[in-house]
Amino acid sequence: MALKVAMIGWEYPPYKVGGLGTHCYWLTRNLADMGVSIDFYMPKTDGIRSDKKNLVFRGIGEEVFPYETVKLTGDFFEKVNRYNELCAKIHGNYDLIHCHDWLTARAGIMLKKKLGIPMILTVHSTEYDRSGWLNPNQWFIDIEKEGMENADIIIAVSHYTCRVLMEKYGIPKEKIRVIHNAITSIGERGRKLKIVLFMGRLTIQKGAEFFIRVAKKVLEIEDCFFVVAGTGNILPELVDLAVSLGISNRIMFTGELTDEELHHIYRISQVYVLPSVSEPFGITVLEALSAGTPVIVSKSAGVSEILESCLRVDFWDVDEMANKIVALLRYKQLRKEIVKHGKEEIKFFTWMRNARKTLDVYKEVV
Amino acid sequence: MPSVCFYFEVHQPMRLKRFSVFSIGSETTPDDIYFDNELNRNIFYRISKKCYLPTNKMLRELINKYKGRFKVSYSLTGTFVEMCEKYNLQVLDSFVKLRETNCVGFLNETYYHSLSSLYDNLNEFETQIKMHRNMMKEKFDYTPTVFRNTEAIYDNRTAKRMEEMGYKGIITEGTERILSWRSPNYLYNPVNSDIKILLRNYPLSDDIGFRFSAKGWPEHPLTADKFAAWVSQSPGDIINIFIDYETFGEHQWSDTGIFDFLRHLPGELLKYSNIDFVTPDEAVKRYNPVGKIDVPFAVSWADTDRNVSTWLGNGMQVNCFNELKSLEEPLIKKGDSHLLHVWRLLQSSDHLYYVSTKGMADGDVHKYFNPFKSPYEGFINYMNIIQDLKQRVDKGRKK
Repeated sequence: MALKVAMIGWEYPPYKVGGLGTHCYWLTRNLADMGVSIDFYMPKTDGIRSDKKNLVFRGIGEEVFPYETVKLTGDFFEKVNRYNELCAKIHGNYDLIHCHDWLTARAGIMLKKKLGIPMILTVHSTEYDRSGWLNPNQWFIDIEKEGMENADIIIAVSHYTCRVLMEKYGIPKEKIRVIHNAITSIGERGRKLKIVLFMGRLTIQKGAEFFIRVAKKVLEIEDCFFVVAGTGNILPELVDLAVSLGISNRIMFTGELTDEELHHIYRISQVYVLPSVSEPFGITVLEALSAGTPVIVSKSAGVSEILESCLRVDFWDVDEMANKIVALLRYKQLRKEIVKHGKEEIKFFTWMRNARKTLDVYKEVV
Repeated sequence: MPSVCFYFEVHQPMRLKRFSVFSIGSETTPDDIYFDNELNRNIFYRISKKCYLPTNKMLRELINKYKGRFKVSYSLTGTFVEMCEKYNLQVLDSFVKLRETNCVGFLNETYYHSLSSLYDNLNEFETQIKMHRNMMKEKFDYTPTVFRNTEAIYDNRTAKRMEEMGYKGIITEGTERILSWRSPNYLYNPVNSDIKILLRNYPLSDDIGFRFSAKGWPEHPLTADKFAAWVSQSPGDIINIFIDYETFGEHQWSDTGIFDFLRHLPGELLKYSNIDFVTPDEAVKRYNPVGKIDVPFAVSWADTDRNVSTWLGNGMQVNCFNELKSLEEPLIKKGDSHLLHVWRLLQSSDHLYYVSTKGMADGDVHKYFNPFKSPYEGFINYMNIIQDLKQRVDKGRKK
């Protein structure tokens, strides 16, 4: 008999703020193709069309509508709370509940108790990641911990995250399954320029400050451009830093970009750097490779544990990061080899594989 | 009756220091910033203790015990002998003592264990062989008549040149790629000259070198009497067992029983009346070739491919190789003997080996030997050093 899943979502294209929406999009579509019947819950569903009979979108609590802002204000938390409460009222004949991160963990817990069915929680990131391990907020940690303790099985996006769950949240290893993220290939197009790219939210977690510092070091001996794509709360500090280091004419801050613009910047860059202080996975690294761009990856990123075709660095080691950036800019054969092998490696990171492994987890609990 | 020819390769490269692009163009002498003295010393001490000293001692005892009936041979690279002199003279002494038994043969090779036989012209190749010849004469008072190129790299051109240089024999891998259905247990000639070719019997050699401690191998554990029986049943004139010397105690640790195996092997082999031991020099005197071998492309004994893809299998390796090769002319012109020596130390094939991106079974072997975390890191380091050397060569030219 086909499995019936209530998936508690938060965002889904076109209502999308970060990677979670993309993840849910591909996961649900592939699961549906494998015969799983999914009711996908989210605050608002206008404009979402489903071309699959067994994938149904259910809007719940339109009043919340959280997509206008990404700012983490009191208002935002109020909306999350309200949404979780509304979700707890869900009725239906489901085999299991699947929720994502702290955002929908509480709805999962309440539903599990009410309906008496198993709960799966996918952890895309933890409060430790988001805070860059500096002053993590106990309020989030408590919700995350409660969610993890109540979940029957937790899906972590990397072994790195798995370790955090064990060490910081005290979750036994037996309860965690690691399923690495997948990507959709961007593809190469056009000519590459001498650009070194950073892409991500401008927060402590993503290590953008180290990117600015490494730019200074590289520019001492190599002529090139640095691009910081994305926005976030430390943007003003980063701009100040670039100015005070005297390299503001060599660093471009793009602000928020559309998908199309993102793909373009991936394609024209010669080097991609992920200097994250703490990164559960780091999907941008695989995207960059798919666009023909070689990558330098922080050792504190989940992706570095499975990807061979990359250069690894400690995020704080600006000297070594600079060495590797210059080497990539100067040595064409190095770029070619990394991209060649990288493209082979990323073939394994398909959504089909991700969905199949998720289905295995479903079967474990039902 | 088959003769058994044991020959051991003894080589250590001068391993490199971590060298950043930001170090390019510094004034410090290359010795101090290219080569990792401390690492080299530590590795040399470790291997001396685990392999060179105990194995040399045991072999000398065995040679004395069998009174001239047991023989072995070596190829000692110039960089290895330099490291002996720099880090542990005792090791060099123990090889000299082995030489004095008169039951030990030696081979010639390139002093720096380089890939110079693959350069466009063979001048550098010849220079390095002559350096090695002089070293063997000076340190061991030995003049080999058989040549073994780096990792047994071999092609028609090299064979011909070796004959012209006066060698009677040359060694390479007994691979089906050049032998087809024929046996490696005989001598052959190249199609273009009369030098004799000794071919490595790779199944029997790899039984000791690679499979000795492999628990999944049906023949595990390998004992001396079992191995001796295999050898005695092998048809042909000569069984060439060519392996890395570090097999004893380093690749195969002492607790695998490798030393017990070695201790009993000569006795077990000599139990068979149809078996005796020869050095390569004796082999080329005693046996005649039975056919011709045509090798227009380079083969070697490395990896499962048995060609030169181990060192020149990807774009990064070819890039480094070409850059280094291109320094030959300006460096010879410049005549700076110190820089020449540094350039030659950088030619050791090991540095390119660390840049190999081979996957599967070979990749694991590569990882075992690689001091770098990935071939990409190996490339960056090596290429940075080559770029620095290039600047030093150019500097003089401008003045």
